[in-house]
Amino acid sequence: MSGGRARSAVVVGAGLAGLTAAEGLAARGVEVTVLEARERVGGRTHGIEVAPGAWIDAGAAYLGARHTELLDLIKALDLHTTPTTMLGASRFALGGGAGAEDGEHATRDGRFPPLNAVALGELFDHLAELTATVRPEAPWLTPDADRLDTLTAAEWAERHLTHPDARLFFPLFLGEMMAADPADISVLHMAFYLRSGGGLRYLNAFEGGAQQDRIAGGAHLLCERLAAGLARRPHGAVRLGEAVRSVAQDADGVTVRTERGASYRADVAVVALPPLLADALDLGPEPPARRAGERTGRGCAVKVNLVYPSPLWREHGLSGWSVNAEGPLLSTVDDSPAGAGAGVLTGFVTGAEAHRYAALGPREQRAAAVAQAARLFPMLPEPVGFHVTDWVNEPYSKGCYAALFGPGDWLRLGPTLTAPHGRVHWAGTETSTEFFGLLEGAIRSGHRVVAEILDGTA
Amino acid sequence: MSSVDTTPADTEGVTAIFRRVLETEDVTADSDFFLLGGDSLIATRVLSAVARTYGVELSFEDFVLAPTPAGLVELIAAAG
Repeated sequence: MSGGRARSAVVVGAGLAGLTAAEGLAARGVEVTVLEARERVGGRTHGIEVAPGAWIDAGAAYLGARHTELLDLIKALDLHTTPTTMLGASRFALGGGAGAEDGEHATRDGRFPPLNAVALGELFDHLAELTATVRPEAPWLTPDADRLDTLTAAEWAERHLTHPDARLFFPLFLGEMMAADPADISVLHMAFYLRSGGGLRYLNAFEGGAQQDRIAGGAHLLCERLAAGLARRPHGAVRLGEAVRSVAQDADGVTVRTERGASYRADVAVVALPPLLADALDLGPEPPARRAGERTGRGCAVKVNLVYPSPLWREHGLSGWSVNAEGPLLSTVDDSPAGAGAGVLTGFVTGAEAHRYAALGPREQRAAAVAQAARLFPMLPEPVGFHVTDWVNEPYSKGCYAALFGPGDWLRLGPTLTAPHGRVHWAGTETSTEFFGLLEGAIRSGHRVVAEILDGTA
Repeated sequence: MSSVDTTPADTEGVTAIFRRVLETEDVTADSDFFLLGGDSLIATRVLSAVARTYGVELSFEDFVLAPTPAGLVELIAAAG
């Protein structure tokens, strides 16, 4: 950028990436305005109060010890973590046979499904081998990237997985890890994502892994506190209800225009949006590279929270964890707020199932989820609260956990993922090759952008 | 379960499998897989390696009862 150090910035998007960037810039004297389309901050984090003072996460929730920048932020914002304890047996509905005691469900200690262990081991061997070959900082330079970026994960599974149990478990695993249908992502993206998040084992684990803790009170508090801190600064502002339409740049600065007709002028802009939304912005002049491709998809997650007076399953020796071959709830987990008077069973509807479920009306959604929860955990009464968060059709997220890079995307989009377009810088968890798609990746992208703008590290 | 190309199980061989899967050299014949940070996901990778190397398919329940190289060698010998 010509004209010296930036003194003002407009940040597009008040999710964790945008607010981290905004806070970093403001802390170093830059006048920052954050524009947010929704009437709330937080992006893909969102809290729901299920009982007085008891909050749950309708969006991103989990973290682990390797998420060092997130842990630093939690401390800086005077927040705390709470462990995702999981004691007791799990429930599995993975089709007939397979140890099912009532023809459908099996109960097992721990999280291991009643499937052939050797077959699952072969699946994870294949995945570990793929994951090891990826160049995590530059996946497009991975050996054999051309082939890996062409093939979908579904085609890969078709070729490599022979045992029916491996074929059954693979899409469930991918849904849980990435909120992806195997047909929608490239093998390169699958391997990259697993590597970026710390490897198969780390990404899959609760204790000792990426799901070890939650943020007490809800992950949305990160963004709320960052925004409040920004508002307290002399030159920081967050404007809600301001959907950005265009970002134009000239020799002296950027002009950001919103759907409501407001316009904001600054030295630089930070676009902290998921790729599909960033790609839809009207940029003048057009950037040399797109932010999303033809096959870039929405992370397919619908999160369902069933609220009960208490976590009743624990009294029956059950953890609340389940894995199910049939939807809508492909997995469930005990998300009860610590020490609060509520039992919360969270169900994940992912992959192709998310589209089917999202298309149902609210009553059908409730009936299907409540009936499935009652089959899994027969001790459960009718829930006292029920929440569905459909991230797939959320216009200002277009998917969750993260964008799904389809065939061709990494080779085409990867090399310019972080390259500034003149005065326009790119943030967001999908621009972080470390912990891509996670809260940690969002924060790292925000820090990178601050360094680009103020230290000229681009 | 047995197989025609069975190799006799040896503690050294199974210890090497543990080392590779756990990504640590810190494994002896009596090391408990789960105390070394292993979990059920990567335990399956020990079982697939055992099946490939010794021609014996063990279940996850077998593994949990004997999650050490020495313990697995006994199970493999008994099954082989």
